[in-house]
Amino acid sequence: MRSQHATNRLASYSTPLILAVLLVGLVVLVAVFGDRSLARTAAETLVRVTLVVSLWIFVGNSGVISFGHAGYMAIGAYCSAWLTLKPQSKALFLPDLPEWLMQAQWHVLPAAIAGGLLAAFIALLSGAAILRLSGIAASIATFAFLAIVNTVYSNWEGVTGATSSVVGLPRYVDHWVALGWAVAAIVAANVYANSASGLALRATREDEVAARASGINMYRHRLLSLVISGFFTGVSGALLGHSIGVLNPDSFYLGITFISLAMLVIGGIGSLSGAVVGVLLLSVLIELLVRAEQGISINETQLALPSGSQEILIGIAMIVVLIVRPNGLTAGKEFKLKPQWLRQSRLVGAKSTN
Amino acid sequence: MKRLALASAVAALALPAMADDITIGFAIAKSGWMEAYDTPAATAAKIRIDEINANGGLLGRQIQWVEADTKTDRQQSAKAGLQVIDDGADMMVVSCDYDFGAPAALSAEAEGMVSFFLCAEDVKAGIQGVGPLAFSGSVLAAVQGATMAEWSNAKRDAKTGYVLLDTTIEYNKGICSGFDWMFPQLDGTEIVGRDTFKNDDASIASQITRIKALPTEPDVIMLCSYIPGAASAVRQIRAAGINSLILNGSAVDGSYWLDATPDLSGFVVPVQGSIYGDDPRPAVEDFNLAYEKATGARPSSSYAYPGYVLIDLWAKAVERAGTLDGAEVTAELEKMQNEPTAFGPRSFSSELHHQNTAEMQIIEITDGAPAQVDQWTISTPVPLDVLLGRN
Amino acid sequence: MSNLAQLFFDAASLGGLYAMAALGIALIFGVMKLVNFAHGEYIAFCVFALIVPSTDAVAVMFLGKAPALILIPVILGLGAAIAVASEYVVFRHLRKADPVAMMIASFALGFVIRNALLATYGGRPKAVSLWPGLNTPVDIAGASVPLLQLIVILSTLLVVTGLALLLKKSRIGLEMRAAAENFTMARLLGVRANRVITGAFALSGALAAAVALIMVTQTGVADVRMGGQIMLVAFIATVLGGLGSLPGAVAAGFLVGIVSVVLQAWLPLEARPFRDAFLYTLVIVCLLVRPQGLFVPASAKPRV
Repeated sequence: MRSQHATNRLASYSTPLILAVLLVGLVVLVAVFGDRSLARTAAETLVRVTLVVSLWIFVGNSGVISFGHAGYMAIGAYCSAWLTLKPQSKALFLPDLPEWLMQAQWHVLPAAIAGGLLAAFIALLSGAAILRLSGIAASIATFAFLAIVNTVYSNWEGVTGATSSVVGLPRYVDHWVALGWAVAAIVAANVYANSASGLALRATREDEVAARASGINMYRHRLLSLVISGFFTGVSGALLGHSIGVLNPDSFYLGITFISLAMLVIGGIGSLSGAVVGVLLLSVLIELLVRAEQGISINETQLALPSGSQEILIGIAMIVVLIVRPNGLTAGKEFKLKPQWLRQSRLVGAKSTN
Repeated sequence: MKRLALASAVAALALPAMADDITIGFAIAKSGWMEAYDTPAATAAKIRIDEINANGGLLGRQIQWVEADTKTDRQQSAKAGLQVIDDGADMMVVSCDYDFGAPAALSAEAEGMVSFFLCAEDVKAGIQGVGPLAFSGSVLAAVQGATMAEWSNAKRDAKTGYVLLDTTIEYNKGICSGFDWMFPQLDGTEIVGRDTFKNDDASIASQITRIKALPTEPDVIMLCSYIPGAASAVRQIRAAGINSLILNGSAVDGSYWLDATPDLSGFVVPVQGSIYGDDPRPAVEDFNLAYEKATGARPSSSYAYPGYVLIDLWAKAVERAGTLDGAEVTAELEKMQNEPTAFGPRSFSSELHHQNTAEMQIIEITDGAPAQVDQWTISTPVPLDVLLGRN
Repeated sequence: MSNLAQLFFDAASLGGLYAMAALGIALIFGVMKLVNFAHGEYIAFCVFALIVPSTDAVAVMFLGKAPALILIPVILGLGAAIAVASEYVVFRHLRKADPVAMMIASFALGFVIRNALLATYGGRPKAVSLWPGLNTPVDIAGASVPLLQLIVILSTLLVVTGLALLLKKSRIGLEMRAAAENFTMARLLGVRANRVITGAFALSGALAAAVALIMVTQTGVADVRMGGQIMLVAFIATVLGGLGSLPGAVAAGFLVGIVSVVLQAWLPLEARPFRDAFLYTLVIVCLLVRPQGLFVPASAKPRV
């Protein structure tokens, strides 16, 4: 008989499996039944899953609200663009890039990883300063970080193209690529959350003083979670860029900051499942309303919502969810197999840990 | 508006389009802030489509249109592009702004389909930023700035210029780059100072203080901005008692914002055609009346015109090519040199799918009343290097 | 010397505007720990209330036609009304929720207001000619200053002293200050929560309306996005000043305005577009040096 603790642990590792099955199922449905526009919606949603799960790695575990993640996205997205664009077009639009970067023409996968790594590195630097703060002061500092990234990227003519968009990114991100990264982010988030550092960090979230008294170095754990979070956020930025095909600093500012935070909070900030559920629910709702704006035929009568009502309705829906469930839809609970099941089917459980 | 709305509703209901109809796909903003810019130009495009249909259609076929809303959102723009392709579009018209139109235009490009930006004025809205099948119906921002420089020097004897750049969007930088290229080339001219601001700055008091600190007031101030920031800047400039002639890009055309600075004088805008009923070319006023008949109001700025022009040019190219094939229509478009349109001649080449020179109408606002005072074509087309920011 | 005087007036008028907005944010934060991201939309709402609802390009004055003596109280009242209404409809039901959930709700509310304005008025910015006479320059201390700048500075002083008096002398003011310092304790001592919170929202909304009137007079335009930038600056000022400290918010608002103007005036041309990057770097530095805020009440120190 396995100990209670071991089965609980095993049960917590079932969360990413359930979430991955959910996402794969959705993508297969879309691939089989959907049109091209729906396939794009699926890809877009999965990029958002990657983003919001990355956001959760830091925000969910530390309890510090970050407004700065769109900044890491921008860093990852531009890095991937620098590495994958054709040298001629870089010479034309980004003339101040250093020579080696100008000549670089990487494959998209290593470029996305490089984007993530650069974002993680910047997360380390910025976090080293910002995470000395706590609570709302830390949040404001992350916002200041975002504003700095945005100002620099909007004005650094020869390197980021400033307000002029960077063009010619290969649009390789379809629903399968996005699915791969979303699952990778979910697995990483789960592994981190169940690691010693993740558990320690969540202890500081619940009670900073008590955790400190137990010898937990909050600063170090926060920084580690921000670096991991920064990596996947950077990747999600690269994915977003390679899904739209055109980069502009404006894409990585307040709009995406708020929508990703809203998805996280509405799903339930306390759990990884909440992060995924929030994205899926809001994305499906948005898509339904957009389609309703375009018109639905019922018994030969054309019904359509007026243009622009989608935004208003989605805002109202968010408020209603928050009023009804202030802790989010999942209220901090994870989807996982019940420990009893794992104990009963010991054989299966033992196999999977081998 | 009603008639057009009805027509579009009928068009939407008639889907899928009849097999021998030609379909134009509009992937444009029907909600969000871009809507205000896309709708007038799209309306103008539909007026031209109706005219062509009334004259027997194109290649003997009627033209239909389908629409998808980009919601002023880049991701939605890409989806709207795919959607109109799936709805059977043979050619795509995308949003006015490069950023919001490009994702849809890229989808058209991938299908080998010709796409036209409704009124983008960035060189990227074409070969350089989308691909060999993308065009813009408008005139490059740099041409507007260069027109202002040359005209003010020739007609108002402007010798000293001050450049005030709003760094918020690329369009503004395009205007200023045209001015910066042209103005110093002219006889005895000097740019005496420059400054930047952001469109949503609550106040530009310190920028104004810098202008006032100059030993003499500059002859002209080149203001590279758009509404609302431009209106706000003008109000503050005049309030500070600065009386220099203020030069602008086409983006500030339209009398709708003039209340922001009552009794404004000495304010000049270059446009493709006058909405005020005083354009020397009768075809422009005919269009204004057609627009009024279709929507119940005259165009509120000259940004409706490029929509009309682009359908006109594309239809001519299709007629000459005898096919809707993207590559062949593009080849015909690229042969156009000074092709006459209601709004002046237009040219395309295999290097540039944009206008690097154009006959601009000069609108001057005096005592709060705008009027066409002159027309001007720059002496040399803006070179590609300037357009790409390599000068 | 005249240059310095000019700089002073530019800085003080922008700072005054930020201070008023920061005060609006700080009031609500004080009583219910809510960072109200809808504040910017209150500003936009008040601006649009001046004109007739229509998507036409040309704006027709609606409330804006009224004489100042009627217009000002009506707009201030309207600002107070929308703030109180939003408390009644949304935030009242979130009293027990986490501050993060409230913040997201406020963002969603702002999103609804903004899109409702877009749907009613169209996306094109509108011109609003409110009191153009106020833009006539006057000469003071060797500087030429638009009358409006003086009015902004004076009215900020007026609003701040008025508010200070209200908070010091009146019963509701006393309750509000008590609530801002320690809400739970204040309630235990008999402060009526609903009254205080409604009062704070009403004042905050009226401050948003005041900011709206100043901005529209200064710029002459109405745009749905016009409140956003100022709201963010105000939010930062509130934290810089020390959360829960109303004088701190005012002082920090002024400070941000002054630094912004000074940077614009003294940075070389090449660096000027990066103005905000410098500004926000200073914000981070300030926070690191004094995480509890520049001007803090004793109660803000965390007790272990």
